[in-house]
Amino acid sequence: MTTKATINRLATRVPGLDEVLGGGLPEFSFNLIAGQPGCGKTTLAHQIMFALATPERPAIYFTVLGEPPLKMLRYQQQFDFFEAEAVNGRLRFVCLAEDAMTGDLDRVLKRIVDEVAAHNPGLVFVDSFRSVAFASESADSPKTSLQLFVQQLGMLMTSWQATTFLVGEYCNETDANPVYTVADGLIWLRQSVQRNSMVRKLEIMKMRGQSTLPGLHTFRIDHTGMRVFPPAQVVAAASAAPDAAVPGERALMGVPELDEMLGGGLPRGYSLLVAGPSGSGKSILASAFLAEGARCGETGVVAAFEQHPNRARNSVLVDLIARGQVGLIDSREPDLSIDEITLLILTEVGRLKASRVVLDSLSGFELALAPTFRTDFRESLLGLVTALARAGVSVLMTSELEDRYTDLRFSPYGAAFLTDAIIVQRYIEIDSRLQRVMAVVKVRASGHSDELRLYSIGEDGIRMGEMLPEQEGLLGGRPTRKRPHGLLAASADADGA
Amino acid sequence: MPLKSQQSRPWAAALADRMDDGADAEQVAEAIVAIWLEIEQALHPIIGHRGVAALYNRSLHLTAVAYPWLAIDQPAVPAAIDPSGLRSALVQQAAAEAAAGGSALFDSFHELLASLIGAALTDRLLRSVWTRTSGDSPAQDPSP
Repeated sequence: MTTKATINRLATRVPGLDEVLGGGLPEFSFNLIAGQPGCGKTTLAHQIMFALATPERPAIYFTVLGEPPLKMLRYQQQFDFFEAEAVNGRLRFVCLAEDAMTGDLDRVLKRIVDEVAAHNPGLVFVDSFRSVAFASESADSPKTSLQLFVQQLGMLMTSWQATTFLVGEYCNETDANPVYTVADGLIWLRQSVQRNSMVRKLEIMKMRGQSTLPGLHTFRIDHTGMRVFPPAQVVAAASAAPDAAVPGERALMGVPELDEMLGGGLPRGYSLLVAGPSGSGKSILASAFLAEGARCGETGVVAAFEQHPNRARNSVLVDLIARGQVGLIDSREPDLSIDEITLLILTEVGRLKASRVVLDSLSGFELALAPTFRTDFRESLLGLVTALARAGVSVLMTSELEDRYTDLRFSPYGAAFLTDAIIVQRYIEIDSRLQRVMAVVKVRASGHSDELRLYSIGEDGIRMGEMLPEQEGLLGGRPTRKRPHGLLAASADADGA
Repeated sequence: MPLKSQQSRPWAAALADRMDDGADAEQVAEAIVAIWLEIEQALHPIIGHRGVAALYNRSLHLTAVAYPWLAIDQPAVPAAIDPSGLRSALVQQAAAEAAAGGSALFDSFHELLASLIGAALTDRLLRSVWTRTSGDSPAQDPSP
């Protein structure tokens, strides 16, 4: 209906934030940016201001008590988004410390209104709001005056058509703080500390008029400012290429016999788990997978999480990376979140238009995550796999397996059910030699071989060998030669001799 | 620690602009105090009267090393710039000495502010004072 009010949404241009907000900030809304000291409130406010302020829609940043303006300007200008030329142009800073120190909220309000009337800003920031509250309490004014102040400010700013942000420390979110009721939007920043790791998280607790992405979203602050990492699935949905994976097509593995065992290669868009003990050749298979892609003119992305990437990486992969046919994600950033890694991978997939992704390995991946995410590893991994599937790429994940011969396990994370296909690798002992066998355990909705085949690793990669029909108990690690019927007794004698 | 000048500041020129040739100490003091009031005008909305006054006092302290007559007693926690002490000190000097000391004081204030918030933002904030100083023509960058 045309008679309804139209709510314009302002794009904050803080990476990821607009997705989490559900499409940007509603114009003329009255928002709180809250959180404990040091969690990035002022940085977020500045980043939004520098992005949104224009000559037609100027901004005023009121500094109240708390961080002295000189310090704030000193530190904020370290960020790339800070433009000194914009100050006193499309945005201005106004210090209200001296008015706030009197504890007279009416005076503070009057100053704000005067400045707003004089400069007609489209954006108003008040930092920090908590100090306004403190100032009023210390002056023994009744507590209702703060509520009155906030209500009046909210009303005035909306009438002045100003999108408003109150920046403040609100340590207790369950407090029935009147500010929460008045605000249209409530952006809460948190820092979660576990052992030596610190992870920043953001939550949109309220945003009137639009549906936001619920829950805690990790973010990072670096010289460019804040980057929010929306949930993997959302990013994937946005970046999904509709024709990425044609059903029925297969991605070849670079090992022809293995392709046969898979029923003609890995179906496009599938995720494949390669599980095996240390040294069984999982990474070599992963390299062959990427090299085969490169041979067919496809590009790939490898996310490596080994402790010593250069030592462990084989020359095939190094060449592919050097030639730009494979993008490398080798994040050494501490305290990674799955959402951040997913974004890194999807960004790289988008950049290279890649169709193949390798995660090598899940154990290394788990170690690269901040401890706080490890408890949710399974859920997060599901998110990642789903995200990559939506993006239409074929994924190969390696998983290190303790060689246990008493049970047939594929992954310590229960990742097996998440993946569409599984290849398992084992060591076996035959004739005083340690041999390797490989089998395709599962390929969803496709026929595949049930063979358990020997393979060897040479200069040219993986070479598949024969089955061992003469042997049984291969998965127990110590196969025995099958005995022909009727010769049981004789054979027993021979073995004993 | 005294701050070293990295480049020539336009303050001496700005001051000269506001004075007639052969101005006496009284006129020099008048011009310097006027510029200080403009600086205060430009900065107090952003960093507060107290913020400006604190920087002003620090600048006096730094400049008094080279110009001992600038060692003026100031309140430890100033509420705002009070240039009356500066004016009294200036008028007691010869005109040339007063102008030199006054310029040096602007320079150290400028350097102090730049050390805190960077040269770009400092120039940006003080531009209005320079623009006004050089009359109708816009502020010029010092030629290399």
